[in-house]
Amino acid sequence: MTVPVFDPATLPADGNVNPYTFCVELQGSQWFLQKGKMIAYYGQIEFNGIGHGALERLVRTSFHSPLHAGDWVVAQGSGKMLLADRAFDVNSFDLDDGNLTIRAGNLLAYQPSLALKQSIVPGFLTLIGTGKFVAASNGPVVFMEPPMRVDPQALVGWADCPSPCHHYDHGYVRRAGGTPWSSGVESLGAGGLRAMTGIGGASGEEHQFEFVGAGTVLLQSSETLMPEQATGAVPHEPGVPGGGAGHGGTGGQGPLGSGMPRMPGQLGDLQRRFGL
Amino acid sequence: MPFREVNSKMVEATVRPGQTMYSQRGAMLGYRGEVSFTPNLQGGQGGLASMIGRRVANEATPLMTVEGDGTVLFGHGGHHVHVVQLAGETLYVEADRLLAFDGTLRQGTMFMGSQGGVMGMVRGQVTGQGLFTTTLQGHGAVAVMAHGGVFELQVTPQRPVHVDPQAYVAHRGDLRNKLSTALGWRDMVGRGSGEAFQLELSGSGTVYVQASEEKL
Repeated sequence: MTVPVFDPATLPADGNVNPYTFCVELQGSQWFLQKGKMIAYYGQIEFNGIGHGALERLVRTSFHSPLHAGDWVVAQGSGKMLLADRAFDVNSFDLDDGNLTIRAGNLLAYQPSLALKQSIVPGFLTLIGTGKFVAASNGPVVFMEPPMRVDPQALVGWADCPSPCHHYDHGYVRRAGGTPWSSGVESLGAGGLRAMTGIGGASGEEHQFEFVGAGTVLLQSSETLMPEQATGAVPHEPGVPGGGAGHGGTGGQGPLGSGMPRMPGQLGDLQRRFGL
Repeated sequence: MPFREVNSKMVEATVRPGQTMYSQRGAMLGYRGEVSFTPNLQGGQGGLASMIGRRVANEATPLMTVEGDGTVLFGHGGHHVHVVQLAGETLYVEADRLLAFDGTLRQGTMFMGSQGGVMGMVRGQVTGQGLFTTTLQGHGAVAVMAHGGVFELQVTPQRPVHVDPQAYVAHRGDLRNKLSTALGWRDMVGRGSGEAFQLELSGSGTVYVQASEEKL
């Protein structure tokens, strides 16, 4: 088996290099990009944080999530850049005057012709408009039609579904409802005993997301990550440049650990920089 | 019978009324229709005795019973999934590698020492199987998990197969396995090739090997 060797001319323009790598072509255009997902690039490409002054107009039209502002950059220039994420399967999707909601950690990049907003469902982002975006998933994405119920971890996103909601199993509802004894008498079998005492454990499937109506549900095999293995990372020590800032390694699910969301470039970042 | 491979990490199972299926707890990704998932206290089939047997053998993986009428998607931990069809043979596999299996299969526990005595127990330690392993016998399908893709190696009496113990997933058929060691003085001084232990399988059957040396 021969391994193909790519150069700027043979790399695909806006296409997959292999199932785990996607190539974006920039010709004076801009792309929004999640931090740490660019693995290589050819050409002259500049990466600026969302807070960069010159991007004011772009951010006004296409980026509406202060919660994720610290996780995103804008790539502009001309050349080809390669995107990848934790050996997940990577694919591009086209939206045509549509809407799609996706797990925040799974979205890698999108064209500024789309507008990014926070979904009402926590941890998810909604893309609205026309354009292309790149998403990662553990295993290939499976498209399903509602009605169906989905494990929360396996959900990548959904398009056009009017009412995503929680679904809890009846047994779970009854246990949480507070009066298991009143109904426990008629079901003192193995199931009733379990419902009353919790002996036997939970199936782990008491809770799903339910989708009904017209639309598409996107599924992945599981959200669980393989353990991170050190690949030449600098040690977390005082005096080591770049050590310990924790970029990229945490999976980038949003700056939840740092408390309040903040636009980069605000005073708070300056304070942190100077160790105040 | 009822498993359809959706992609390398996901299988779709069809559940019909009156049929039971067992799956690892928390491995359901999505479903259609009316399907119920009940935690299985015994960790599989049989009564209290088989439950205690599995607990003692440390082969009691949290299982749940899947019943109802519909289709269920299974996948777990981002691991690759491989479907094994059994037609009367026995599959030997670690319980925590079982993603889902037909209720028609007979589940049992086997003592590693029963194949090769003390050496069988050593083998169990090296492969990470422990002292016991789970057996599934009968007609039906099993979805087995592995880290990395799975490939099958045919074993015939003339051609035994050597497998890295860490890459071994499962085997089926009439196979005898033996741990072969190639320990030399280099291993003693910490300059070994890292391949000092190998699993030798002989007889006739199939070995399932994963493309990774990572345990589940």
